Amino acid sequence: MSLISPPLTQLQTARLSLRAPQPEDEQDIMAFYMSPRSKHVGGPYDRVGAWHRAAGFFGHWALRGHGKLISVERATGARVGTVGVGRPEGWPERDLNWTIWSDAYEGRGYAFEATKALRDAVAKLYGWTGLVSYIEADNARSIKLAERLGAVLDPQAPPPDPYPCLVYRHPKSEEPQ
Amino acid sequence: MTRIETERLVLRAPLAEDSAALVGFFASERAAFVGGPLALGLAWRHVATICGHWMLKGFGPFILTDRHTGESLGLTGPWAPGDRPEPEVVWALWDHAPKGQGLAQEGAQAALDHLFTGLRWESVVCYIDPSNAPSIALARRLGGVEDPHAARPAPTDLVFRHAPNSGARP
Repeated sequence: MSLISPPLTQLQTARLSLRAPQPEDEQDIMAFYMSPRSKHVGGPYDRVGAWHRAAGFFGHWALRGHGKLISVERATGARVGTVGVGRPEGWPERDLNWTIWSDAYEGRGYAFEATKALRDAVAKLYGWTGLVSYIEADNARSIKLAERLGAVLDPQAPPPDPYPCLVYRHPKSEEPQ
Repeated sequence: MTRIETERLVLRAPLAEDSAALVGFFASERAAFVGGPLALGLAWRHVATICGHWMLKGFGPFILTDRHTGESLGLTGPWAPGDRPEPEVVWALWDHAPKGQGLAQEGAQAALDHLFTGLRWESVVCYIDPSNAPSIALARRLGGVEDPHAARPAPTDLVFRHAPNSGARP
């Protein structure tokens, strides 16, 4: 069953398949948002709150035509996390975001690989470059990844209400990356 | 997609163009009894959740619209996030919708009829804050009976139970 249609629902990288969420992903998405690993993205939530976030994945696609992709390890089919472009109403800018769902998939460069691929794809498809990533100040791993991706702190850019966070700005696509 | 007509209303699934009215509601004081008022981004996220509810479950809250003008007036219908013990029926009117004319009752009654006859549900509850007198009155007019034993999301919530033959009261 597919709830979500193109244009940007499928990307391949060397090791990952990035694809739009499917109903079968619901429990894994919820498990992440109930786990301590979601502490930098609003969690951990109770079951109802986690379900709200999971359903929101689908509604974001329905309302915006883009959203979070599930990062799937091609070799095993395991869901390892997400990568996406988020634009809730009222947020100052589109947010290039990523998650890795378990410690087992940390440290392999998967978030880098997924985010780089999506950043290139949305630049090509939509002309979106110089995107921001909203990152909590104590999220050291994500800050390190943003910097590896060539993003720099943009102290002038406002964070989305009501989240105090740092704003990292990715390079424009014509700049060397 | 399900479409329900009543004397004055049409109930239909939400469309992308409803998002402004929905976001406006959840960001407003009128949403005080349903978790609001929310910051704009969170209100939008909640609207995305409502759309996702329809996509994942195949049912969800309907948009209440004026049958003649098509204007959106509120929402009503089933709400079953996650694995709550049982589904709920919800209702709300937007700030600009006419009040005191029974529109919420007319919409909610049609939604309940659909749940019982269309989806063949045997029972549905609503969770209401004890200080939300207008909703308590509406739950009773719709035939809801307080269920002191039902599980509830917040310990202070009242639970009203609706069943196919509980029958609306004028």
